[in-house]
Amino acid sequence: MNPEPFLQLDRVIHEKGRLAIMSMLAASPELSFTELRDALGMTDGNLTTHIRALQEEGYVSVAKSYQNNRPLTTCSLTAPGRKAFAEYINLLEQIVRQNKPR
Amino acid sequence: MENNWAEENLQTIRTLMERSAIYRRALAPIMLLAGAIGVVTAAIGVLWPLDTFPTFFMLWFGAAVLAILGALLIARRQSIKDKEAFWSPPTRRVTQALVPPLLAGMFFGILPAIMRAPFEAAFLVALVWVLFYGFALHAAGFFMPRGVKIFGWLLISSVCLLICIYAANGIDLDEKAHWLMGFFFGVLHLAYGAYLYLTEKRKNAA
Repeated sequence: MNPEPFLQLDRVIHEKGRLAIMSMLAASPELSFTELRDALGMTDGNLTTHIRALQEEGYVSVAKSYQNNRPLTTCSLTAPGRKAFAEYINLLEQIVRQNKPR
Repeated sequence: MENNWAEENLQTIRTLMERSAIYRRALAPIMLLAGAIGVVTAAIGVLWPLDTFPTFFMLWFGAAVLAILGALLIARRQSIKDKEAFWSPPTRRVTQALVPPLLAGMFFGILPAIMRAPFEAAFLVALVWVLFYGFALHAAGFFMPRGVKIFGWLLISSVCLLICIYAANGIDLDEKAHWLMGFFFGVLHLAYGAYLYLTEKRKNAA
């Protein structure tokens, strides 16, 4: 078995919580902090930590605004984030193909 | 082992992406428009009165076409305003869920119209339409906010209840087709639209 694809997996995305955030954001132009938190069942602190890690890597951008006089935090994938996510999926598919019994 | 986690990860990603891509156009104006059309159509049907099956069918089929066109226009306007693609994957999924029950419902309306059924059959067709419309909303509700699925359930259970009461001779529906349509497609849509209008603002602000 070739371990190469496994070793190439992006460690930042590979963590369960961050992978879930990236997956949600990949299918939507943007999601609010509340939508992400409710959909993934994370605590505010946990979600903030993961988003910060993804933001530092340049995968996620965070915008703060106001809607009806209430603060609104929205997250979206950046172009590098989208690319990294696509590469991560490709590698997973490669691993699945590689390990499938012929 | 490694293959398993990779497959599981892919499956999780797929599920999360589907859950994230919900159809999030504001439904309130669409429901209010459908409700208004329903009430006006029912009023025309009762006041005119249009009491043959073909006229009943044509009137309500026309109303349905008008409501669908109006809904598409509102959704299109919203997508332009939000700078989103109109024919997006969530829109496609919702359409795919709506079409089969709606087509089946239409079939059960066309058939008696072709067979020149008496007007007394119209209330049964009205109930079948509401039932299939309930199925359509329930199916689409998997890709839309939860309230749509509940609204679908409400229509389905109301029809079942009405049929039970009718079968037990507890209610005379024979001449009440326009009233039934007006209530289910008019009043209930207006009520749901008003509810959404009041609650969507709060949710969006959260």
